[in-house]
Amino acid sequence: MTVNVTSADWYALAPISIVAITALVVLLADLFAPKHVNRYLAIVLAVLGIVVAATDCKAAYAHDFAAFGGAFIVGGFSVVFQEIILIAALGSVVLYGAIGKDDRIAGAIALMLWSACGAMLMAGAGSLMTIFLGIELLSLALYCLCGLADRPTAREAAFKYLILSSVASGFMLYGMAMLFGASGSVALADLTNPVLASNPLLWIGGGLFLVGISFKLSLVPFHAWSPDVYEGAPLPVTAFMSVATKAGTLAVFARFVYAAMPSGVADRLLLPIWIVAGISMIAGNVGMLAQHDLKRLLAYSGIAQIGYMLAALAGGTALGMRYAIFYLAAYTFMNLGAFAIAALISDDAEQGSRLANYRGLAQKSPAAAALMTVFLLALAGLPPTAGFLGKILILSTTASAGYVWLGIALIVGTAISLYAYAKIIRAMYQRDEHAHTHAAHPFVPLAWASAIVCCVAVVVLTFVPPALRDVLPLVR
Amino acid sequence: MHYQMGNSGSYPLLLLLWLLPLAGAIVIWAFGPQLKRLAGALGSAVVGASFVATLLSWHDGTQSVAGAGANLVGAHQALVSWLPGFDFGLLLDPLSLLWVCIITGVGFLIHVYSIGYMYDDKAFARFFAFLNFFVFAMLTLVLSDNFVGLLVGWGLVGLASYFLIGFWFEKPSAVAAARKAFVINVAGDVGIMFAIFMIVASVHSIAFGDVFGNVGSLSTPWLLAICICLFIGAAAKSAQVPLHTWLPDAMEGPTPVSALIHAATMVTAGVYLVARCAPLWSQNADAQLLVGIIGGITALAGAILGCAQWDIKRILAYSTMSQIGYMIMGVGVGAYEGGVAHFFTHAFFKAQLFLGSGLIIHALANEQDVRRMGGLMKKLPFAFVAMLVGVLAICGIPGFSGSFSKDAVIYGTLQHGHPILYAIGILTAGLTAYYMFRLLFVTFFGSYRGDVDPSDLGIRHPELAGTAHAAHDDHHGEHHAPAWLMNVPVGILIVPSIFAGWLLFGGEHSPWAQFFAQQFPHPTLPTPAISELTTTLIVLACVAVGIGVAYARYATAAAQADAVERLRGESVRMPALLTNAFYFDAALDLLFVRTSQLFGTIFGRLIDPQIIDGAVRETAFSAQWLGTLVRSFQTGLVRAYAFVLVIGVACFLVYYAVISGGLH
Repeated sequence: MTVNVTSADWYALAPISIVAITALVVLLADLFAPKHVNRYLAIVLAVLGIVVAATDCKAAYAHDFAAFGGAFIVGGFSVVFQEIILIAALGSVVLYGAIGKDDRIAGAIALMLWSACGAMLMAGAGSLMTIFLGIELLSLALYCLCGLADRPTAREAAFKYLILSSVASGFMLYGMAMLFGASGSVALADLTNPVLASNPLLWIGGGLFLVGISFKLSLVPFHAWSPDVYEGAPLPVTAFMSVATKAGTLAVFARFVYAAMPSGVADRLLLPIWIVAGISMIAGNVGMLAQHDLKRLLAYSGIAQIGYMLAALAGGTALGMRYAIFYLAAYTFMNLGAFAIAALISDDAEQGSRLANYRGLAQKSPAAAALMTVFLLALAGLPPTAGFLGKILILSTTASAGYVWLGIALIVGTAISLYAYAKIIRAMYQRDEHAHTHAAHPFVPLAWASAIVCCVAVVVLTFVPPALRDVLPLVR
Repeated sequence: MHYQMGNSGSYPLLLLLWLLPLAGAIVIWAFGPQLKRLAGALGSAVVGASFVATLLSWHDGTQSVAGAGANLVGAHQALVSWLPGFDFGLLLDPLSLLWVCIITGVGFLIHVYSIGYMYDDKAFARFFAFLNFFVFAMLTLVLSDNFVGLLVGWGLVGLASYFLIGFWFEKPSAVAAARKAFVINVAGDVGIMFAIFMIVASVHSIAFGDVFGNVGSLSTPWLLAICICLFIGAAAKSAQVPLHTWLPDAMEGPTPVSALIHAATMVTAGVYLVARCAPLWSQNADAQLLVGIIGGITALAGAILGCAQWDIKRILAYSTMSQIGYMIMGVGVGAYEGGVAHFFTHAFFKAQLFLGSGLIIHALANEQDVRRMGGLMKKLPFAFVAMLVGVLAICGIPGFSGSFSKDAVIYGTLQHGHPILYAIGILTAGLTAYYMFRLLFVTFFGSYRGDVDPSDLGIRHPELAGTAHAAHDDHHGEHHAPAWLMNVPVGILIVPSIFAGWLLFGGEHSPWAQFFAQQFPHPTLPTPAISELTTTLIVLACVAVGIGVAYARYATAAAQADAVERLRGESVRMPALLTNAFYFDAALDLLFVRTSQLFGTIFGRLIDPQIIDGAVRETAFSAQWLGTLVRSFQTGLVRAYAFVLVIGVACFLVYYAVISGGLH
């Protein structure tokens, strides 16, 4: 198969290239810039690069285009996911500016940007090879990022992540090989051939491919790595990872479900994923109950949240995909916001995430406590936040698609989670004499601003009119 | 099916007239101490500007919807759309236009009057902030194009009313009255909330257009249940029997509040609700009958109780209740135009009566007991003219506004086939004439009794007489408000109190009928046995009897000569049934307050600590235990994690192997 590469193909990659080049520039600037400005330089350059990429990204929204012979497909669908990934990167870079250690900041930001490139590649991946390329680019940068902090737990986390992720990648690659064997092509589009429905290679290969996806989405029972890794990694990295990995993988999964399925097999082929999603909703929320660390708690929360998003896709309807994207956008803001507050109440990443430190927060910083309350309410899915609207929409689409049991799992999971989230809120509004140290880094106001933006977004998304919400782009 | 209620479009004036009072409330609230007396001018100005914007929107509000089969009319401004069926917007059609005109027009006059009335009050700015907030809330109520927006406005006017009844919160009676009004109104809000639940469950939309368009698809019992729930809200807000007991107590608020909220606008919200939901009520005769009967009972009960009051504002409060009873009876039986017309004229003459009584109360340093008045005709000639016009209008003397609208309601009940309600309407008209002329004679005729010992007048608790006087007379000496601030609004109100009813002149071709031609259903009705003219004559005869009795008892030379003796005798001999207002308060207390307290005790002592708390404790405990269980899998060892992962993969593979094996 020959592919004619034209300049249009390269333009399709422009946002990713901009982010990648920004990462290089950040590293180079760090090398030559005077010591006392490198911190500012790295953050400013990274923010600029992300903003330029986000602006450039928009252009492709209205026209779908299959670049490199269908290996990378840009269009409304990929643009929405790429924008979400860029928002996550932007928020995390700002957080890094607020709490990161000076001598490592350029390297960390460059790695984070490259990791974002991987996730953005997954958002448009149209072939098995591009998917794998994106996943590995995302993950390799993340392994390094996790080990950045000067703590044994960080190195342990990085090591665990590397080992387990490699195992999962191995299964996934094996599955991809089988899929290739079945269809004779790496293009996802070629998997739709109805002849494949009776080919065992499709079933086994698809199953192994879904194992990889489940691992990246940290669905139970492939979730065990995530609480440890979330806890060990530096706080901004956790913030980035929790959103970018989910966004990229969800894009791949949605494309697989909606655009790579021979007719008539979806129900049976995907059933294990829906079961696993249902288990995750319950187990993730139950797991939250006994946690004493905010990052671990949010890891379990993320396990449940991705279950909600998958439930939206279960029916395979257009509305389902739109609601999944809507929920992902809402989740991005509430999750980033929660991490921003965690970063703000303490400059030490480990201190900030211990739940005991939230006791009496309302006395010391009423604003931080109020914002955190909004984010926790959103994660729990209470009005007037986007979390509430998102869950209502998902419930409606899941139930009408016939997956009532997934809806029940969602409700039960939500009910359990209320207890865990409410516990933090109660602690924040309790009186306590324990004193907090406040971060005084130059980017702290920016981190505050990002927390407030997240809070506004979480509330405003609740009132997005259906006219805007229900036209989110679909996989084509 | 969907009704397009009004021409959709962008109406900046509509948004402006709606939001201006809110802006006024916020600015006055925030800068009250700096604004000082200017708060009154600002508060009045925003409501005045709102009124001007209303007049400028007149054309939009009366435009027919092009091509609509159902005779729809008005202007529709979309605001926010949310979940499917939950779209929020504003609707200005003849019905809401009429209400907005009264709210902002009469509201403006009352704002100006309040500058004078509240001139020496400590919390002058706070008063105007609340008053502006009330106007905003009331506009939200009548301008919403959906049930939820209406309920939001409904709740907010209740809140504003709570603040304003309890405005003088150092008086315990005012606080108690405010709380009572709020609690009863919240009971009504809950009724409307249940109606909305039922509406959403059956129509899947809250928009008036969708609900009225789909009324045919509702089953009869379901529709009846919706109407009853809506009417619970309407009855609470509009002081209909048996939820009326808060209204007389609400007179604890400043008199301008009584005029604006508890006479002209808020208490007529129930009339608005029934008129707005005319498409619902028109489909269910039982619901119509219920509303008509409750309205009739309220009209009669209010009039009877009005005869037994001595407090000038309580007399007016019972007369308000009775007149709203007329309106509710009118819109209930289906005589929508008549019921709404009575709201329109009543807003003018009742506001005027309240403001006029405010002039008296103000001049007599907060004296409200008519037994301690008398002979005020010479002292307060302007107040006398104002009250006289109001009394003539409310009694339905031909030529004054009340006569047109009241006759329209009374005749409407007969037209729609309710002869008993017709009789009640006529009887109430006679009673109204009696107690209103009683008020007029006792207050203005004879000689001044303010310096007579209260117990000689039969006042039961002389120590309570003039408590308001004691509390608020401190600043009386330094009162500097120019008299015109209070007199001019009352003077202006005299004009519509006399002439507003003339809009109804001409039957089917009157400007009134033209205005509402596209708003209400117009079924063809059989011509009743008694003609409209005969009805008017019968009413007039009853009114004449009422006036005559009042004259004989209070205004003859003999009666005036021993007025003190007679008033004491009447006070002492007043039947307990009347002085206790038919024991409604005691009954409500027994039925709801005591039983709630009983339930509270049972729950507090037994069910809550034992059963509910116990369950919560158990749930929390087991959740914690489950969490620990999940955490115990999290050993932190890579090999353990890898093991779990491989088990998961094995499960997946077994499933796919079985599935793909089954394909052959």
